[in-house]
Amino acid sequence: MASALRPAILRHALGAPASTRALTTSALPAFRAHHLAQRSPLALQRATFQTSTKRAILPALPQVIRGTVNDPVTVRDADPTHGSYHWTFERILSAGLIPITLAPFAAGSLSPVLDGALIGMIIVHSYIGFESIITDYLPKWRVPITRRILEWGNVLAVFVVGWGYYEFETNDVGLTEGIKRIWRAGSSSSSSSSSSSLTS
Amino acid sequence: MLSQRAAQQALRRLAVQRPAYRYIVPAAVTSSNALVSQRRLAATANLSEAQATDEILAKQRLSRPVSPHLSIYRPQITWYGSILNRITGSILSGGFYMFGALYLVAPYLGWHLETAVLAAAFAKWPLVVKFPLKAIVAWFFTYHSFNGVRHLMWDMASMISNKQVNQTGWAVVGLSTVAAVGLALL
Repeated sequence: MASALRPAILRHALGAPASTRALTTSALPAFRAHHLAQRSPLALQRATFQTSTKRAILPALPQVIRGTVNDPVTVRDADPTHGSYHWTFERILSAGLIPITLAPFAAGSLSPVLDGALIGMIIVHSYIGFESIITDYLPKWRVPITRRILEWGNVLAVFVVGWGYYEFETNDVGLTEGIKRIWRAGSSSSSSSSSSSLTS
Repeated sequence: MLSQRAAQQALRRLAVQRPAYRYIVPAAVTSSNALVSQRRLAATANLSEAQATDEILAKQRLSRPVSPHLSIYRPQITWYGSILNRITGSILSGGFYMFGALYLVAPYLGWHLETAVLAAAFAKWPLVVKFPLKAIVAWFFTYHSFNGVRHLMWDMASMISNKQVNQTGWAVVGLSTVAAVGLALL
């Protein structure tokens, strides 16, 4: 089916001399396909087996065979510290983000302590998210150095960004209030609030 | 008479102790001329056991077919929604991180990232730029938030049938779009 979308390859695989092609094009399409399949079964198989474009995104590395070809997979003993606790912590954090995200919409803004808590939770939530992206797309066996750099970069970013927001919280109006002021800047409903922020 | 002679010959041969292969290999093969004419042309090579198991296998593995790319899958709300969750989340977090880090270094670079300055600058933008930008940022936020709630529902093992996953997937798209437009109008 999909090979029909790639007529160039089929035509190439089934390239026949002009005389036979003239014969086959005059026949019923269904019979023609059958006839060609009989004529060059191997070429047709090759053309129809691979139905998508062949793109070697990540070419195979030199292969290393450890142990023998038929070794069983080693299974570690199950332990909650291997991920179960992490999973629970992530869910508690995510669930906790719901009320603290909704609160400023209801109250207009957050107290400095809650604002700081929101920032801290977002940073930890982001750290976990970036960590899972790194784990998913950068396997240790393929890009060990990049993986290590990004994992440590992710940890470093927590502290740099945390420090940045500490400065922001102590010197500026706070995250929720700041977003509100920028969001409503220039809109007719809150021209007074934006002008007051300019003077503050 | 004949059997007697055969036994005698066998005894004589044993006494001489000729090598065993002399009995098996025909006389024509043992002569030097015959060896030249009957040379086998098949190429052979000596392999160590490690070569036989590892090198050949490694070479075979290099020519294994590559698994097809994402484009072979039919677009469905299940996996589109899933990757959108990750994309929206990383854009939001990326922006959040970038502002935090830039706010830290801004005084040293002479930049002004104070809320008042940003608000004053943003206020001057025309509405045709501001509204779409706000809607897009708001949609990243609302989509990731609503889809996060969907994920938490799955974690409690509810709404997890194929049909429900499809329904909630579209529900999240609709809800987040409406909410984003609403937020952009604020």
